[in-house]
Parts: sequence; structure tokens; C-alpha cells
Amino acid sequence: MAVITFDRVSVTYPGASRPTLDEVSFTLPEGDLCVVIGPTGSGKSTLLGAINGLVPHFTGGALRGQVLVHSRDTARHRPRDLADVVGYVGQDPLRGFVTDTVEDEIAYGMEQLGIAPPAMRKRVEETLDLMGIADLRRRGLMELSGGQQQRVAIAAVLAAQPHVLVLDEPTSALDPTAAQDVLSAIGTLVHDVGLTVVLAEHRLERVMQAADSMIWLPGDGRVVHGEPAAVLAVANLSPPLAELARVVGWSEVPLSVRTARRRAQAEGLVPAPPEPAGVPQAPVVLAARTLEVHYGNLKAVDRVDLDLAAGTVTTLLGRNGAGKSSLLWALQGALSCGGTIDVRGKDPRRLSAAEARRLVTLVPQTASDLLYLPSVGAECDQADRESDAEPGTTAGLLRGIGVDVPPDRDPHDLSEGQRLALVLAIQLAARPPVLLLDEPTRGLDYLAKAQLRGIVRKLAGDGMAVLISTHDVEFAAATSVRTVLMADGELIADGPTADVLTSSPAYAPQLAKVFAPARVMTADELVRGPA
Amino acid sequence: MKGNARLSLAVGAALLCGAVAFGWPLILRPESGLRPELAPMVFAVVLPVVLAIVLSEVAGGRLDARSLAMLGVLAAVGTILRPLSAGTAGFELVFFLLILAGRVFGAGFGFALGAVTLFTSALITSGVGPWLPYQMLAAGFVGLFAGLLPRAEGRAEVWLLAGYGMVSAFAYGWAMDFAFWPFGVGNDTSISFDPALGPWQNLHRFALYNLATSMGWNLGRAFTNALLIALVAPSLLRLLRRSARRAEFAQAVDHTVG
Amino acid sequence: MAVSGTTNPLLLALIATAMLVVVMLRRSDAPWARSVRAYLMLALFVIGMRVFFRIVLGGSQGETVLFALPSIPLPAWAAGIQLGGAVTAEALTSTLYEAFRLAVMLLCVGAANALANPRQALRSVPAALYEASVAVVIALSVTPQLIESAQRVRRARRLRGDSTTSLRAMASLAMPVLADAIDRSMALAAGMESRGFARTRGLPVRGTLPMMLASSAAATMGVFLLLSTDYLLVAGWLLVGGLVGVALGLRAAGARLRVTTYRPAPWRPVETLVAASGLLAATVVLGLGWLDPDLLAPAVAALLDPLALTPATDPLEWPRITVPMLLVVALVLAPLPLTRPRRVRAIASTRNDTRVRLLRAEPPEPEPTWR
Repeated sequence: MAVITFDRVSVTYPGASRPTLDEVSFTLPEGDLCVVIGPTGSGKSTLLGAINGLVPHFTGGALRGQVLVHSRDTARHRPRDLADVVGYVGQDPLRGFVTDTVEDEIAYGMEQLGIAPPAMRKRVEETLDLMGIADLRRRGLMELSGGQQQRVAIAAVLAAQPHVLVLDEPTSALDPTAAQDVLSAIGTLVHDVGLTVVLAEHRLERVMQAADSMIWLPGDGRVVHGEPAAVLAVANLSPPLAELARVVGWSEVPLSVRTARRRAQAEGLVPAPPEPAGVPQAPVVLAARTLEVHYGNLKAVDRVDLDLAAGTVTTLLGRNGAGKSSLLWALQGALSCGGTIDVRGKDPRRLSAAEARRLVTLVPQTASDLLYLPSVGAECDQADRESDAEPGTTAGLLRGIGVDVPPDRDPHDLSEGQRLALVLAIQLAARPPVLLLDEPTRGLDYLAKAQLRGIVRKLAGDGMAVLISTHDVEFAAATSVRTVLMADGELIADGPTADVLTSSPAYAPQLAKVFAPARVMTADELVRGPA
Repeated sequence: MKGNARLSLAVGAALLCGAVAFGWPLILRPESGLRPELAPMVFAVVLPVVLAIVLSEVAGGRLDARSLAMLGVLAAVGTILRPLSAGTAGFELVFFLLILAGRVFGAGFGFALGAVTLFTSALITSGVGPWLPYQMLAAGFVGLFAGLLPRAEGRAEVWLLAGYGMVSAFAYGWAMDFAFWPFGVGNDTSISFDPALGPWQNLHRFALYNLATSMGWNLGRAFTNALLIALVAPSLLRLLRRSARRAEFAQAVDHTVG
Repeated sequence: MAVSGTTNPLLLALIATAMLVVVMLRRSDAPWARSVRAYLMLALFVIGMRVFFRIVLGGSQGETVLFALPSIPLPAWAAGIQLGGAVTAEALTSTLYEAFRLAVMLLCVGAANALANPRQALRSVPAALYEASVAVVIALSVTPQLIESAQRVRRARRLRGDSTTSLRAMASLAMPVLADAIDRSMALAAGMESRGFARTRGLPVRGTLPMMLASSAAATMGVFLLLSTDYLLVAGWLLVGGLVGVALGLRAAGARLRVTTYRPAPWRPVETLVAASGLLAATVVLGLGWLDPDLLAPAVAALLDPLALTPATDPLEWPRITVPMLLVVALVLAPLPLTRPRRVRAIASTRNDTRVRLLRAEPPEPEPTWR
């Protein structure tokens, strides 16, 4: 029985030149896990919002056609009236929290529905158990980790016992383990509880195999709905397994590592192993010894020794809470820390902010924090002033990165990738020898990530030492030559990317797992072997 | 009874009670057994009740999730701004936010924002005491009257708001000082309140008391208010109005559904 | 309230100490609980200000002159004011007594803040004020998030080499934080709406508003009479009647809201006892203040000694402690054995990779006292 039906739905926002969704029709049967994919700005959020009525009741805009959810027409029901049918979890769960403890948050939805206190009590317990967060019951919401917050947000909408669950990018901010927890919880909901789940996701690697159907939005207003393997074959998104299929010439994209591996072995595909690449020798630009960062009793960085060599790209991997951000900020000289840091003979901690910036520059997690002027041109001019560079340097850098935006555009109207490029250009205006990037891949789609990869490689080619902290193992595999693993404040591995990543299953890229024990990092390294 | 009429009546009741509450030094006679220090305490019980009436009229059923969320978030901003204002009871930064928000979102919203901001900041920073209902009511009125200012555009609007900022800073300062006069100086100095004197003499004394103590602060506050508004109003008004417009669009769609 | 009935400094000091003891042992760890010290500062400041004004502006009642300031004549419009002149011990002591009383009252307010939990009270708000309470809850939850966002933006600015702390820098910080706040409110509203907020709200019951308005007018009238006349009884009844009327009106107005409360906080017998002890203390003091010693039998009068509550300052005499005073202090300490201390739970945050503080060559920025 179809639980969600879109019948020739078009959505046009006020002031937009063309419709975001154009004559979209599909149905979803009950109990399906449907993954919505598409580049940024293609209308995924609009599609998800239309399911629970936020579009058009909350966001404005004109909706033509009909959306039926569990036989209710969203045109005639406000989102609050659909709360017992559709549970919606937005992109940033922390922003959607109304109360400040876990238990109250879960009870909130039920309070709004007027459920009696004893029934509420029972349901809260059930939901806590279902999501595996029973021990977090009295914790404050702000103290939880990203994965825990996400699970609490899901639990909060589950408490109303809806039939459909809609999730907008649930794992974008999570490290692989936390993402796995959330996805398995969702899997339980689909298979054991029988919910219908629709989720939008950029990073498909983990979620592809669990999906029952996929919806691809190419960006021109239409949708392509079908079996995951078929949709991925036409979609121009490239998760690693899709890349593999493309390179090797398979018509169907394998959805899991196991499927790919079996097929590869059945076809006798033998990758030509690339030469073991060591880390290229290059002059050391930044040398840090016995770095220590303390927050009260907590040791965030514990006697770390790190060297960064010119022209090399290094990635820093580790789960949330391992101290990656603290290490990066410490290297920039912005934190009080023990130990020594030497960048071309100077210690960035002892320099003023403006001078330190010329030695080591950092692009923080929320890159848009650095932007505050009303236009791109104003930001570039300000950056030139701040770095004592020639006027036009920053704008030139921005163009060199490959981003071409008119200077009067408001930075808030740029896409994620463009904003990141703008911030990069601003920070590079001072031409520092060392660049640090803190989780730049968060929220970027495959295309933007490929562009970032190109930018970083070019910068390294110009002699800059780049250190990137990320969760995205595929990005690390494709971009860097050296990888450093961090856990509990210490560096636990440091070596060539191929060696470090393939040494543990948690961090191995998908293609390495497919072709193990041969060390294949990316699809580019594949050569079709004899059949 | 139509919504606006209800709100006006509730506000009228609040004004009446507020007049008595803030102007009690003019009313207190020695025949009543009440000591001057206790007068504000009595009001501390009555005022919350009146506040509750107005708030229930403003908020109850008239504010939807969007407006409530905006109210809560702006109150949070005000709460953060309050300790940043110079002075022991500095309100400049809170006031300018209050005035601008009241202007954009209307009188009812302005009242609610004033009351909620003061309450929340009391919970987080300064603590709950008998002065809180007074502050809530006074701040509520600052927001309310900001929403009732006449229409103006562009620079004229900025001047209007800045002028209102100055006036309201003085009015607020005087009102609070007046209601808590005995707490400042005690009972037996020659600039203290004395129930045995007539209202004019008490006013005279109050003027002197004010001159001696808070005139400097009031002036400073008024000027800072006006300056801040003049500087920041254009961009802030634009920001607030943009979100109000977005809400309206959605509201229009919502109403066609009914 | 008990404090307002007495000016005996010894009793006040004892009460103050008792309150502080209770606070130290029983206070919750919430932000408003940590401001007891601020109240102490405020209390001392008030005492100082009062004494200053008394000295400068006419402290010459009584006979024991301590010292004399030069008398400054003032122009005619300020006639009636006396600047300078002799300062007497009586005047100073009476001011000190009054000021001390005020200081202890402030301390009591501070103690009440430290011990109470307004969040719990917010849950039991009458239904008519539900929306307002939601706004307050939102404000309380969003404040720490906004502070974190502001700190983040400040750190980011420094990355751009921008280390000015001028007004302009603050303003340039304020706008993105405000824009972020507004975006946040939209996301929050979407979440609330999706979860069914205001789904069960009907219109307020007809007729409640006129009743509430009439009651509030009655209450105002009552207070007016209380202040300006001595028709205590009439005033009292009007006041109480008005308040009750409004309360009933608010209850009725919220009747259409079918929002339930998860785990409504029960009013346990312990809490009744604590409230009762406070009330009893107040009654003892106020009651003694009203008693006329001449009407009592001499033995009882000697025991109760109501006059000791307000030691005379003219002529000056030493304050005394009496039995009822000790009873009052005991009542203030009563909550201690009745309640258990709230254990402070130390929770290690797992998000320590984002708790990056900026500790450059300047003094460390003060850690915000709220979590």
C-alpha cells in the first residue's frame, strides 16, 4: 500500500525564476527506506519538506499538484496536524530542540498531542530503548555528542508514533562510528518497527546498501525514482562503488562492498597494484614537538610530535572528541599549549594574530564565521587590507581556485562549496607556507569535494604544506599522500596514506575493501585486468 | 470581542495598575499603617497578576510557532546583551533591541519581548526579586509604545526611533527610581520620601534625589541608546523586516488552507 | 518578610548567617544560584550608600555628636535640604540599622534564588500563559547556544588577523550572531510546528477577559486604598478578591488548551513543611511587632519583649536578644534537616573537540557561568 504519493507536484518559491520541483510524481510503499540524492540546491530539502507539509505552509511558495501522506492531503493539513503521521528531523538537530534535557525533549511532542501522562511515560521509555539512549535520559542536550543528539532528535519525533520518518542529512556532521549507529537505528526502525523512512544524504557509501529505493534529483526539477542500482547507474553522482562500476564497465552499480567483491572475484578482476608510494621527502615547514593542550583536567592533545613538509597534503583522521580540532588550533598558535612549535624559525603562539596568519593559517569548521561583510567584493578588499597584500590578490586567488562569482553577490547566497572557496581565498591572501583545514568536507556533495580536491592538490603543487582534518575516508584516500590517525589526544599512526588506511577496516576506503589485499585507494588506480 | 479591542483593554488595565504601582509615593499616606519599604512588596504580588493578563492576551492563541520562536530567540539575544551593557543595571543594549523589534513586529510582540527578556535575564543573571515585576512591566511598555509609534520611513524613522530611545531611557529610569525611592536613600534624610508631606513636596524631593544619584546614569543611558539606534537601526531593521516578510508569505499560504 | 519587621542588628546578623548556612548547604548548581556573592556585594554597597547620604544630607538627630561637617548653604529652590552639619551617633546608628535590614532583605532574595528552581515552576504555569512560558523556555535554552556561537565567531575573526576589541569590532560580531539567531528561530519554529505545536489550542473561553479585567481593577483599587487610607479591611478584601478573580479567570482562559504535562512536579509534604517554617518565622516577627506590651501580663511581656525588635536609637541603647528571636532563627534553619542536599552531578562532555578556548597573550576570557 502506498503511504506517500506525489501526484504531479510542482513547487515554486516566491521570487524564483523556475520551479524547484516540476511535475514530480512517485509513490512510496509502506515500509520502504528511500534515499534522496542530488547535488546541493537541487531541491532535496523541498521534497522532504513537502512530505510533512512544511512546504508550502511554513516556507511559503506555491504548491501545485497533490501530496498524499497516509491518505491525508498536505494541502489541507498543516504540519502540526500531520505530526502524528509524519516525523520530521531537520538538518541541525540542536537547532530543533525545544527543551534542554533528553527526557523532556522526547516528551515534548506527546505533550503537544495531549497524551495522558501515564501513556507518555511508557512511550518515553520505549523510545529510549528503541534508539539505545536509555542511559542518556537526564543529560543536557548541549552536552551530548553529535551522534547522540541525532538519535535524541529521532527519538523525539518517534514518540508521537508516526508512520513516516523524514530525515534531512542525518549523518553529515557525524564521524563514521556515530553515523553507523544512527543508520543502524534507522534500519531497526524500518525492519522491526515497520516505519517508512525517507532520508536525504550526501555521503552514500554507508546508506546505499540499506536503501530499498532511491530518488535522484538532477537539479532541473524532475526526479528519477527506482531501484538503487538502476538510479545510481544514471545519476552523475559518484560514490566509490559507482565509480568502480563506471571504470570497469558494469551496467549495474554494486550496492555493498560484499556484492562488489564477489562480482569482481567472479569476473577475475585483478587490479594492477600501484607502486608502494612513500611519503615524498621535502623540507619540513612546521615542526611541533610534545604539544599538549589541557582544558582543566582534560587532556585534549597529549604530547604530540608532528612535522609538516612543504608540498605535501596530510590528512588527520580520528573520531569526534579525539582532539583533532584542538590540535589544529594549537598549531595555528591560537591556544595556550605546552611544547614547541617551529614554523620557519618562529613560534606562532608568540606572534600577533595578523603575523601568525602569515605563517600558519586555519580554515575553521564553520567557515562562514569568517564572513561578515555584505558582498564578496568587500570581503576580498578587506582580506587584502588584512594581509597587507596588493589590492586584487584575494579576488585573483578566488578566480584561480576556479570560483567565479560577481563581486556584488552576498556571501550568504553562495553555495557551501563557493563559501568555502571564498574563505580559502581570504585566508590564503597572506601567502602562508602552512594551511590547516578543519573538516572542510562537511556538507559538500561529491562534485564540490572533487573541486576541493583539485584546489588542495594545486596548492600543494605550489609548495604549500596542507593538513586536513576530516571524517571522510574516501576524500582522504583521494587527496592526501600522508595520513595521521589521532585517538584520545595522541597520534597513533603516521605514514603513507595507503599504508595507514588499509591497515584497519574502520578506515579503509571502500575500494580497498573490495579488492583486499591489493591496495586500491580510488577508482583512478584501477586498470581492467584480463577477464 | 475582537482581538485588538481585547488587547487594548488588557493594556489599559495594566497601565492603570502600573500608574498606581510606580506612582505609589504620591499616594501613600501616613494613615495607612504601611511602611514605605513595604509598598513595592505589595505591588510585587499584584503586578505579576496584571502582567499575566496582558501576556495571556498577547501570546495566547495569537502567536504561532514562528513568532514564539522569534520571541524566544530575541529574548535570548537580549539576555546575553544585558550583562554587556555598562552600568550596574544597564539596559541600553536590551532597550535598543526591544525598540527595534517592537517597531517591526508590533506592539503586542514588543510588550511580550520586554517582559520575557527581563524575566529570562533575571533567571540567568541577576536573580528574581520584588523589583522584577516592575522591570518586566516597564520594559514591556517600552516595547509596546515602540510598536505604537507613527509611521515613518528611512532617515526619519531612524530619528524617530533614536528620539524614542532617549525618552524611554529617561522614563524607565525615573519610573524605577521613583518606585524604589526608599530603598535608595532610607527614610530620614532630607531627600527621602516622607508620607507626611504632600505630593508636590515629595516630587520636589524626588527631583533632588534623582539629580544627586541617577541623573548622570540616566543621561548616559539615554545617549547611548540614541547613538546605538542611530548606528545600527538601518541594518537591523532590514534584517528583522526580511524575516517578518518571509513569515508573511507563509502565513498567506496558511490562511488559504484555513 | 520576617526581616522587614525588625531592625535589631543582632537578630538580623543571626538571620543572615542562618540563611547563608542554608544556602551553602542546599543550593542547586544552576546559574542563578551562584549569584549569592553578587547579592552580598550589592548589600554592602547599599549600606555604604545609605550611610554616605545620611552623613552628607542631614544626620543631626539626637544628642551624641560624633563629628561635624561644614554646613553648606544651598540656593532657594533646594531649600529644605541640609548639606553637612553635625553628624550624630543616633542618626548613624538608625541609618545603619535600616540599611542593615535592607541588606539582609537583599540577601534573603539572593538565598531564595539560590535555593529555588524556577524551571520547575515554569512547568506549573496556568495554561493561559502557556505560550509565554514556551517563549521563556526557548530563551533559556537558546542563550547558551548563542553564546557559543558568538565565541566561535570571535575566534574565527582572530583567524583573520582581526584582533581589535573596539566598538566597531563588537558591532561586526553582533550582526552575524543576530542573523544566526534569526535563522535558528526559523529552524526551531519548523521543528516545533512539525511536532504538533499549538495543535490542540482552541479559542479562549468567552467572558474570561471582562472578569479578569474587573478583578484586576478591584485589586488595584484595593492597593490604592491600602496605601492612601486606613480602611485596611476594605482594602484587604478588595485586594484578595481581585487576585483570586484573576487567578480563576486565567485558569478558565486556558481551559481550551489540551497540552498535557510530562511528569508534573508534585508538591511534596516536605516542601509544605519548609514553606510553613518560613511563614511561621514571618508571623512571629510581624506579630510581635504589632503586640502592644502594655496589654500583656508582665511576665509574658518580659519573655516576649516585643520592643526589642526595634531598638531605640534616640536615646541610644544596646540591642538585646530575646527568646522569640532565637525561635525565629531556628525556624530559618529549619529547612536544613528537612531537605537533602542536591548532589552536583559532574558530567564529562564528550564534545571536547569543539571546546577550543582562546588563551593567547591576553588574560583568559572568563568562562561563562551557565552551561
